[in-house]
Amino acid sequence: MAVPVSNPFSTRYTRPGCIHPLDGGGRRVDVDGLLERLQGLGGTAAIVGPHGSGKSTLLAHLAEAIERRGGNAPRIRLQASRDAWTAWRAIRQSAAGATICIDSWERIGLATRGLLRVAACLSGCGLLVTSHRWAGMPELTRCATSAKLLRAIVGSLPDHVCWHGTLIHDADIEAAFAIHGGNLRESLYELYDRFEARGKRIHGASGAGPADRDGSDGGRHGIHESADGFSYAGAPERNLG
Amino acid sequence: MNKAADRGPAMPKVDLQFDRPHRQHAPLDQLAVRYRIEGCDGVSIRAIEHSVLWYTEGKGEEDLGVHFFQRITDRALMPPTVVTGVFSTPLPQSPLSYEGLIVKVRWCVRVRLFFDGSRDFVSEHVFALGRLPPARLPASRA
Repeated sequence: MAVPVSNPFSTRYTRPGCIHPLDGGGRRVDVDGLLERLQGLGGTAAIVGPHGSGKSTLLAHLAEAIERRGGNAPRIRLQASRDAWTAWRAIRQSAAGATICIDSWERIGLATRGLLRVAACLSGCGLLVTSHRWAGMPELTRCATSAKLLRAIVGSLPDHVCWHGTLIHDADIEAAFAIHGGNLRESLYELYDRFEARGKRIHGASGAGPADRDGSDGGRHGIHESADGFSYAGAPERNLG
Repeated sequence: MNKAADRGPAMPKVDLQFDRPHRQHAPLDQLAVRYRIEGCDGVSIRAIEHSVLWYTEGKGEEDLGVHFFQRITDRALMPPTVVTGVFSTPLPQSPLSYEGLIVKVRWCVRVRLFFDGSRDFVSEHVFALGRLPPARLPASRA
């Protein structure tokens, strides 16, 4: 049995924090510039955009940048209204000057949002939130998607040159973007499925890809190379969000 | 495959060898690896971590379990004095490596280098634990 090839569209490589945030044109977002803007807005602001437009990715990078500068930026992902307690505790436990980063701000009710804002204000903390719609606070930036952006993201994934044009084509990227109405997260899942299906078809049901041989042919195409392994800077727990 | 190129001047490489051919191990086997660190000339390493772990890979949330962990901080045992390393550990019975369509279970050996300052470098080397047959693509999709 050989070592399998990784799917570059898996959440291991695409989840928030993994990919550098890009704007709608596929250009790298100026994270430091956004932090200065956040400061200018009083430390509380929202990242606004539709589903799968990169808000969480941007939030993760901003939080990391705040921490790199010596700040405190606890991150909370709201999945239900009860998670507001987690945000409340984070605010209460954070020292003044912290930036509480809250993903999916719109998932809690208006009254709870108001209470959290008051609590943050009293604690001297800022709030940096993501929301699908107007969040009742200044807008830091608005995320938008485009097929060009999706192409840029795909181009940044591991070993792109090895599978682009063979397992995944430009037409797949365009189709995924169109099928999912510009939702980048769903588009990447779509490409995951296509990669998986074609990889299995080309390399057989054994799960073995070209990289799974002993690597002596020098033509290894997968992410996990048999001799060199898969190397990157930083621990995956941090790199991958 | 290396994403470290834009993180700094040093481009280390960890050349790792497993003791079993094809990196195929059975549950409860003794896993033994040896590795060689290259490309760290002039770079000071303050710690090396060895770990053996499994992780899930797919479209959903990831899971991860560390089976073996060892941290070396004795500078006499790391580059530039010593550029090779060995370690071993008995493998557990589960979870077995699995090639699913939606989720995969992977085992890997990880060597992580911590440089002076805040920079670090991770090298992962996948191996298989057990011989579970991979999931088959439904005929309609194949």
